[in-house]
This record gives sequence, structure tokens and C-alpha cells, in this order.
Amino acid sequence: MDRPISSGTIMARAFLNHRDGTKGGIAERGITPAFAKRQQAQDSIFYYLTLGFALLVLVILGSIMASLIDGAWPAFATFGLGFITTEIWNPVTEQFGALAPIYGTLVTSAIALLIGVPVSFGIAIFITELCPRGLKRPIGIAIELLAGIPSIIYGIWGLFVFAPFMQLYIQPFLIKGLGPLPLIGSLFKGPPYGIGILTAGIILAIMILPFITSVTRDVFETVPPMLKESAYGLGATTWEVVSRIVLPYSRVGVTGGVMLGLGRALGETMAITFVIGNAHRISNSILAPGTTISASIANEFTEAVGDLYTSALIGLGLILFVITFFVLVLARLMLMRMDKKAGG
Amino acid sequence: MNAELASLATGQPSNVDAALSAKIDIRNLNFFYDKFHALKDINLKLQTGKVTAFIGPSGCGKSTLLRVLNRIYDLYPKLRAEGEVLFDGENILAPGQDLNLLRARIGMVFQKPTPFPMSIYDNVAFGIRLYEKLSKLELDGRIEAALRRAALWDEVKDKLHQSGLGLSGGQQQRLCIARSVAVKPEVILLDEPCSALDPISTAKIEELIDELKQDYTIAIVTHNMQQAARTSDYTAFMYLGQLIEFSPTQQVFTNPREKRTQDYITGRFG
Repeated sequence: MDRPISSGTIMARAFLNHRDGTKGGIAERGITPAFAKRQQAQDSIFYYLTLGFALLVLVILGSIMASLIDGAWPAFATFGLGFITTEIWNPVTEQFGALAPIYGTLVTSAIALLIGVPVSFGIAIFITELCPRGLKRPIGIAIELLAGIPSIIYGIWGLFVFAPFMQLYIQPFLIKGLGPLPLIGSLFKGPPYGIGILTAGIILAIMILPFITSVTRDVFETVPPMLKESAYGLGATTWEVVSRIVLPYSRVGVTGGVMLGLGRALGETMAITFVIGNAHRISNSILAPGTTISASIANEFTEAVGDLYTSALIGLGLILFVITFFVLVLARLMLMRMDKKAGG
Repeated sequence: MNAELASLATGQPSNVDAALSAKIDIRNLNFFYDKFHALKDINLKLQTGKVTAFIGPSGCGKSTLLRVLNRIYDLYPKLRAEGEVLFDGENILAPGQDLNLLRARIGMVFQKPTPFPMSIYDNVAFGIRLYEKLSKLELDGRIEAALRRAALWDEVKDKLHQSGLGLSGGQQQRLCIARSVAVKPEVILLDEPCSALDPISTAKIEELIDELKQDYTIAIVTHNMQQAARTSDYTAFMYLGQLIEFSPTQQVFTNPREKRTQDYITGRFG
């Protein structure tokens, strides 16, 4: 049996130390000036080494930003703000507008969060609060494996298996069922292509699911059992305990998990390129093909011959960078407001 | 008197003192943590409107017993209870019990304060909102009443909408008591409610227990002999999962029947 070392044991060991050859306190034990100097040098080397590593992050971030801005400059100089607000993307006439990929990126990510977050929370809640012990490990392992699948596999699976499935069953059903409705009807109009914005969004949802799930599960597990017991002790149901105690208690970590998922969804390239259809246009319908920023870049870099074309693609990259940055800032602000509301 | 004591200890119906009625009647209760037999054949009654203290060395099963009474142990796998616990005559260990309702009727306060991550007001309103739909005015009234009951109102009335986490430890524990009282339970279980508190806060909570017993049946687990002697009407001494002695508090502390009880309360072991 392991037992913590009591202070008595420590004193006994100190005593033994004195007995086993060394004499007296530190001052009497031959600490030469040279030895002290060597220790100081060691400390300062360590300090500058770690400082260097830390600064490296800033340097890398700065130079990526600089080269993005430098590369995107011709496109912004030619089209001005119109680069962000126009939809036309015509390499032949060298007309470039980034609105369609920006729209595609934001909409696919939104769909991914809309589907992925509730499902992830559900899984995390089941694992931490309701799961029979025997099922906990298999589900946990499955989630980790899901996170380990390379995105190219999601891509081919999406194109060859999931997209036909969407085309045959889900999309006709959506068109028939939701298409005629007022307001949201226009989101579900058009022919069932199989591929398209919705399909890409669902694939993204599956891809971010394990990330959000494992982060939220971990933070849910940090909620003190006694706090949950107090709520159960007042007669609360599992749902009430989770929604009013567990989630507010772990909100910072949970938001972090969701943002991690969103970051991945915004930047995901390979799987999306397979299933989104790569069409530079904005449709009302989420069943129609579209494109995202990263899919456009991946698709077109090899054929970007003109300087302006290349610059437009780098400009897309810069925009993605800025979007991700704003998402992070937004998340911070949200957390600050929540903290204020909770009065903490 | 002896007949009554005997009946208290054995859990058999008493003919001597009909005025006393059992709010909770524990009969042949056994409890298991997987294979570990934690409570062995417990028989005792919690009298209505009285304070019953549970004393005994760590690991003797006092807290376990308390956790059986509102079936909070049900949250964890591999724990099981056998026997009967009659709450107003109904066996709460029987299958098909509405646990949420049961726990609303039997409140519990834990060793450490457990304020919820929300405002003081919402902390107290939490339990009420689960079962009752009140107007703002009624809810305000209930919350003030509960905080007054817990002797906390004067200290927090100006900051009801600040976080409950900002209070001191003693205030937090009284907030937890207010939270329990607010749902108007019939029984309050206190699991070492003062173990994390300073002497002044402890004194306040003890005063509170005295106040509360007019309306509630109270069970308190404590490691503090004086606390048991000061606050309770009956005292149960437990050792190694068994109920060794259960008598009026006065008798336990002045003239215990069992040698082990005497050894424990005089500090000879434990």
C-alpha cells in the first residue's frame, strides 16, 4: 500500500542525510563560487531558450500574416472591397469576387454546428450521467476512433456512399416535405444533386462531433459530484441537473469545445472539396452545390496561372484567417458576458 | 421508559408513548457497496418533529444511512439496499418510487457548501421552480421566508442577484439550508453540515437546527460529540455498519447502555 510521506518521515530522512556522509547545512557543504555561477548560467540559458521558443510562435504567426497580406494585395488593389462583396468568379476574364466561398464556408459551418453540437452534447451527457458502466468504454473508444479518421476518407465516403444516399432518400423527402413551406421553403428547392451545401454541412457535423464530444465529456466530468447530488437532492431530473447545473458550471470548457469544432469546420478542406460541388455561386437552396474558401483554394491552386488569379486565392486564405480570428474574439466576448451574468 | 427505549432500539411498535409518531421507520435495513456490507440490519425510527443525531467513527455507515433515506445512492451503479424504509408508512425502497418527488420531500445538506453557479436568488428559487409555478410576488415571498428561516436574509437582502459563490463558507452553507427549506420538505438530512465551517458559523447553524425542528423532522450526522449533545433529541451510535445504541440524547451521553458507546463518547476510541 502506498502511503503519503508524513512530515515525520521527511524529518527522519533529513536526519539520515546528515548521517550518510554530508555534514552540516547547505552553507558548509562546499558550495563554491564556481558552482553557484554554473547554476546561474544554467538558469539563464533555460530562460532564453524557452523565451526563444515562445517568441517563435509570434514570429511564425507574424510572417504568415505578412505573406498572406502581401500575396493578397494585388487582388484587393484591383477589386477593392468588391472582392468581398461580389459573387462573380471568372478566371477567363480575370474577374474575382469571394462572396460565394465566404457564404459557403459560413453556411456549411453553421449547419455543422446546428447538427453537431446537440448530438455531441447528447453523447457527452449520456456518457457522464446515464451510461451503464459497461458501455462507457466502448463508446469512448469509438469517439476517439472517429476523431482519428483522416478527412480524405470522409471525402470518398461522402462522395460514393453518403451523397447518393442523400440524393435517393433525404433530399427528395426534404424537397417534398419542406419545399412548399413559406419562409424556409426556398432553402429546400431545386433538384436533388446529392452533393451540395447540406451534404457538406452534414459531413462536417460528423467530423467535428468527436472533438466537441470529447471536450464536453471531459469538462462535464469536472463538475463536483456533490453539486450534482445537491440538485438531485432537491428533486431535479437528470435533464434539469444537466441544463441548469452541469452546463452553467462547465460553460467555459464547453464553449471552448464548440469553438474547437467550429475552427475545424471553417478550415476543413478535403472532405468538403469532395462533396460540395465546387460551384462559385450562391443559391437560396441549401441543396444546391456551392463552394467554401478552403475548397476553392485546394481545387484551383494548380490551375491558377495569372498573377491576379493566384492573388485572389491567397486573398481567400487571408479572409479565412480573419474569419477564424473573429470567431475566437467572439467566443471570448461571449464568455466574458456569461461570466458577468452569472455574477462571478 | 424502559419499554420505550427498548422499542426505539428494536424498531418494534411502542405501546408506551403513543404521542410519538415515526416519520421514518427503518426496518432490517442492509446496504451494500457492491460486495462490501456497509449497513447491517439497521432498525430505528426518526420521530416526527425531532432531531436525531448519528455519531460514530469514520466509515461506520452514518452518512451511508442518510444517503439511503433520500435514495441519492441510486445515482451510482452497484449500490443496493435491502429491507424496508417506511416514510409515512410507505416503503421508499420499493420499486416504482418517484425518486424526484421523494427527494423533494426529503431535503439534504452536504458536508461542504454546494451553492449552484447562479445568483443567490436563483439558488433558492431552483427547487421551488422545479415543482411549483408561482407568480413573481409569491416566489419573492417564498425566497425571503426561506432565507429568513436560514438566518441569512439580513446578510444577503441587498445582493440577492449576485452570485452565490461570492458568499463566505458559513453563508454558503446557510444558503444551502435555505435552498432545502424553500421546497418545504418534510424531512431534512444534514450530513456533517458544519465540518467545513468556523465556530461562529457552526453556532449559527446549530441555532438554526433548533429553530427548524418545529416544522421538520431532522437527521444530522456529526463527528462533533458536543454538537450531537446540544442539538439532538435522540442519538444513534453506529460502529462498523451496526447500530449499537439508540436512545434519547440525554441518556446516551450521561448513562449509555453499551460499553462501546461510552468508550466512544469519552474519546477512548474512534
